[in-house]
Amino acid sequence: MERRKFLSLSGLAAVAAVVPAANAEDFRKTKPTVWTAHTVDDAVMAMYGTKATTESGVTVTMPDVAANGGAVPVNIKSDIDAKSVALFQNANPEAAVAAFTIHENSIINYDLKIKLKSDGTPITVTAIVEGKDGKLYSGVKTLTVALGGCEG
Amino acid sequence: MKIKAKMKGDIVKVKALAKHDMTTYDQAAKKTGDKENANFITRITGSVNGKLVYEISTSQFLSKNPIFKFQFKGAKAGDKLEMTWVDRKGNTKTDSAKIK
Repeated sequence: MERRKFLSLSGLAAVAAVVPAANAEDFRKTKPTVWTAHTVDDAVMAMYGTKATTESGVTVTMPDVAANGGAVPVNIKSDIDAKSVALFQNANPEAAVAAFTIHENSIINYDLKIKLKSDGTPITVTAIVEGKDGKLYSGVKTLTVALGGCEG
Repeated sequence: MKIKAKMKGDIVKVKALAKHDMTTYDQAAKKTGDKENANFITRITGSVNGKLVYEISTSQFLSKNPIFKFQFKGAKAGDKLEMTWVDRKGNTKTDSAKIK
């Protein structure tokens, strides 16, 4: 009995030790439908199973008018203790742009350059931070693009 | 991949550039007639001392030759930052840089 107890305990410990490594997540494999969703709502739903977000604690910095839609700078910043960060927009054929997994030593201060298709109407870029408390926090930026980036 | 990593206090600031065309489905369809020819980076990881510090899954909407900037803690000058990208066709490239 004692030995069994010991074995089951060590089994548990082994599982616990594996969990941090399993934190590495390829969202393209684990959530394939996120990347084919055409609207931000659908993509957020596919990613988190809910679209209830609180708009606070996340800053998305972009130019108000981007000259070149082929490379629009984006900065995402947040102090939230988070599990993941994802970026969406409503200009391109599909909504999802990128998703970050947050690790122990990560700081949420990411810069990217993204493509935005333009038809002259304002574009909304949404960053969603998935907190460790299970809630979703969002930051939004609206901008226009002078020259589209997806037409190639 | 071109990588620059610099210590600032106890934070490492990184700037990385991946050379990649990042062809979208639309661009591939227009140029080759088949959107399945699209090819773009789908995932990038960065690690120091075997520990992941950066992990991003990406779509075709990153710019051509995309630049990534990020920051992390828990490393010191002289540590090696290793970054790898994988694209849609399965090509992969790994480069590393010493943190200055």
